[in-house]
Amino acid sequence: MCNFLEYKDTKVVYRRYASLFFVCGIGSGDNELIALEIIHRYVEVLDKYFGNVCELDLIFNFQKAYSILDELIIAGEMQESSKKSVLRVVTQADGVEEQENSDDLIGRLGGGRSG
Amino acid sequence: MAANMRGLTQFIADIRGARVRELEEKRINKEMANIRKKFKDGNLDGYQKKKYVAKIIFTYILGYKVDIGHLEAVNLISSSKYSEKQIGYLAVTLLMHENSDFLRLVVNSIRKDLDENNEVHNCLALHAIANVGSSEMAEALAEDVHRLLISPTSMTFVKKKAALTLLRIYRKRPEVIPAAEWALRLVSLMDDQDLGVVLCVTSLIMALAQDHPDAYAVCYTKAVDRLHRIVIEHEYSGIYTYYKVPAPWLQVKLLRLLQYYPPTEDTTLKNVLNETLQIIMTSSAEPSRNVQHNNAQNAVLFEAISLAIHLDTRSPLVDTAAVLLARFISSKETNVRYLGLDTMAHLAARSDTLEPLKKHQGTIILSLRDKDISVRRRALDLLYSMCDIDNSELIVGELLRYLKVADYVLREEMVLKIAILTEKYACSYKWYVDTILQLISAAGDHVGEEVWYRVVQIVTNTEDLQEYAARVVFEYLKTPSAHESLVKVGGYILGEYGHLIANEPGYSPLEQFQALHSKSQFCVAPTRSLLLSTYIKWVNVFPEIKSQLINIFERYRHVLDAELQQRACEYYALACLPDDNEMLQNVCEEMPPFPPRVSGLTSRLNRKMADTEDKRTWIHGGREMNLEQQMTTLMRSKQAEVPVNESTTASGAADSTMFNALAGLNLTMPSEAGESGAIPRLTVGPSIDKWYKKLTYSAEGVLYEDVQIQIGIKSRFQGYLGQLAIYFGNKVSAPLTSFTSTVYVSDSEAISATFAKIPANILASRTQSQQLLQVECKKVFTAIPILTVSFLAGAHQSISIRLPITVTKFFEGVKFGQADFFERWKLIGGSPRESQVVFPIALDAAGHIDLPHNRRIVSGNHFEILDGIDPNPNNIVGAAVLHTSVDGKVGCLLRLEPNREAKLCRLTVRSTSEEVAAEVQRLMEAALRTE
Repeated sequence: MCNFLEYKDTKVVYRRYASLFFVCGIGSGDNELIALEIIHRYVEVLDKYFGNVCELDLIFNFQKAYSILDELIIAGEMQESSKKSVLRVVTQADGVEEQENSDDLIGRLGGGRSG
Repeated sequence: MAANMRGLTQFIADIRGARVRELEEKRINKEMANIRKKFKDGNLDGYQKKKYVAKIIFTYILGYKVDIGHLEAVNLISSSKYSEKQIGYLAVTLLMHENSDFLRLVVNSIRKDLDENNEVHNCLALHAIANVGSSEMAEALAEDVHRLLISPTSMTFVKKKAALTLLRIYRKRPEVIPAAEWALRLVSLMDDQDLGVVLCVTSLIMALAQDHPDAYAVCYTKAVDRLHRIVIEHEYSGIYTYYKVPAPWLQVKLLRLLQYYPPTEDTTLKNVLNETLQIIMTSSAEPSRNVQHNNAQNAVLFEAISLAIHLDTRSPLVDTAAVLLARFISSKETNVRYLGLDTMAHLAARSDTLEPLKKHQGTIILSLRDKDISVRRRALDLLYSMCDIDNSELIVGELLRYLKVADYVLREEMVLKIAILTEKYACSYKWYVDTILQLISAAGDHVGEEVWYRVVQIVTNTEDLQEYAARVVFEYLKTPSAHESLVKVGGYILGEYGHLIANEPGYSPLEQFQALHSKSQFCVAPTRSLLLSTYIKWVNVFPEIKSQLINIFERYRHVLDAELQQRACEYYALACLPDDNEMLQNVCEEMPPFPPRVSGLTSRLNRKMADTEDKRTWIHGGREMNLEQQMTTLMRSKQAEVPVNESTTASGAADSTMFNALAGLNLTMPSEAGESGAIPRLTVGPSIDKWYKKLTYSAEGVLYEDVQIQIGIKSRFQGYLGQLAIYFGNKVSAPLTSFTSTVYVSDSEAISATFAKIPANILASRTQSQQLLQVECKKVFTAIPILTVSFLAGAHQSISIRLPITVTKFFEGVKFGQADFFERWKLIGGSPRESQVVFPIALDAAGHIDLPHNRRIVSGNHFEILDGIDPNPNNIVGAAVLHTSVDGKVGCLLRLEPNREAKLCRLTVRSTSEEVAAEVQRLMEAALRTE
């Protein structure tokens, strides 16, 4: 089966991974194969980040799936094709979040004692 | 992975656990009611807000309508905590429509996050702008985003996001970005060390360059250079290889960018580009087993083929490409077949000859029956593009046959295309009528109005066709299942031309009437109206069936449809007039030919594209159609470029006299010169003129110098060729990066100047680099080539200076005796082939005429000084011949007569070419004159 479908003035490029479909729409003059590989790169990054990613990971961590996508694509254009660079930025953000969470915890414990 | 929100996880688990839709809805309604209450009570801390907004987002993603949480999302954005901000931004980008009132509240928070000295927050803000991309954000934040992009302190991952966010802004509101003004600065970022940054910046520049090709012209060299470095020099970091293909995304972008410019004329660039494309084509000859590798490789390959086609369809590269494509269209991989056919259509759209493609016509026709619809579509477009007068019968026949079994979604487009081809490549009228009627009867519902209008137009305008058309359409009408479109064509044609066949057996008026009228009851009102018009025409030419026709009008006078009723009444009255009344005859006069008009079919096919979208580099259809398309785009961009001039010329005579009065002043704003990007604005300074003047009569010296950089020249000229070694010296203790030098030549017909190779883009600290510039004088020229040097040294700098390449550099001195000289001098004669001027000159320190100086200038302009010809020893007489590669040689003689007392000098130049005489006079005067 062809991974490209023409729909009105756009083209739909899709790829199937087990039961999950990844779909994107591109312009009629855009390069189809390279769009197809953006999808694959996204799946690879998700896989590396979650460790053997499955549908449930994406459902329960939808905000993460979005923020990883933001690291890969902006304005419909490939932003960063290096897996390493993308993961570095994502883990850096995770680090900030963890730091905040532990600060929170300490804050709450401190608050509890005084209250 | 960061810790999750427990409440959210529970909520998602509950929803997933719901066995039926009703339970899911119940759970969601309960949660939303709870959240609404919590929000109403207020007093929530950041964590709680974040959790509730996240639940709302999840509900929204599931497809439920949500109408709460907008304000809370806005609040979360201004939180100082990353995780809260992130959820806030996500909610804003997902929940809010780009025209939402809430977005107005967000703009300031976004600006704060952009300005903050915290990259993680910068990124969140950039994502939000790019994802929402509202008009208001574009307007308010373009400057801030640009600043993040060009700031030397920005981290690479911020730069990447800023570049693409700016692209988003530009696509939304092109006018908020001063594209031409930012051009050089943005293009310089294509030299960044980080290929990720290069990729993003290239995407941005690709959009800008399509609208401002001149201002961004430098990006051409940058793109060629980068491709060369990736493909041939293998200059990339390992993290940018994708399944062994180096930076495929960047390669694809660069190859596409080059297709938005006309093929380069610079031989150096051309050679580098050819070599690069050659390597891309050969290296992808053998497919590997890895799908990803093949896809990435082919993505680059197809783009490279497109570029090769764009550059020159007759190049050996395209021959190679055609062989590859032939293999692709019978590949086992569906994607490859699809792209092979698509690229072949590109080739057909551009190529002078379709012969190489026709060899594969059989395979392509078979592809119409491919098992995949996308492939079938491509085959259809390709056949459409490769159709010409020789194969039109075959191709149209195949298309007609396929039409009957084609997918419904394809049919309307097919009908249009068949109609266009039939009209364009008809070899006989008979074939045209047969085919088009066959088309209408086969496609029925898919025949747009344009198609049958066009048939009527053509038949009306072609007298030879009318009788035949009437006969054939009548045959079609006799078939039991004639489609309504056919009834319309039949109604019109028989009404006009039915009388031409009425005397033949089987085509009598009564038979025509019965055939047509039997279809009437199955037709909609507009068709019936048309038939009524046919009948009134028949009343005029077929008196034998008048009573039947009047009968019909009579009945239609009582139908409910207003249009039908009115027609029937009017026609009834007309038909019932006495026989000697000429009214009917006049009304039913035969239709005059239609004024020649463009077929509505093609315009229907080529719908207009959005303005800032990446433009297609070609359209489906033959070569002519593509040329036409290019012309219209060109016209449109030309019109867009000169609105200023237009308004001034349109403003009438009164204004123009005022303009003349002010003609001496330079009224054009400096920014305008930059805007058009065509002619570089010269850097000014007293020393610059002095250096330049000196170099016009010497072979080497300093051309430019400031605190950062020194530019020197060594030149050699031989015949019509010249070589300039340009030395760039970095005087500071830091490298000059994104070092770019370009030469602007306004009259490339007369003189060409190209760098021998693509220069390196870094000039290390306190070092000198040399670039060779090859110059060829083709004809007499007066416009001096301009060198533009730009680089990053903290800020972005750019210098534009004239190069000492004047027409006299291509002179060669000639020795004459006295007699010979005067004979030639007289032969040339006076004006206009003589140019004379008197101007002030400086004397030497002792108050004498500075003879050595004058001689240096004359011989420096490559004249042979002829001594002993002029009796006055202070005078100088010279002779030279100009070498040009196109116009051959031109002789030139000169006489210089300085006068000590008056401190004036008379210069007389005679040449067989008026142009040369005037230009040499101008150049010599500029060198000798004193201010």
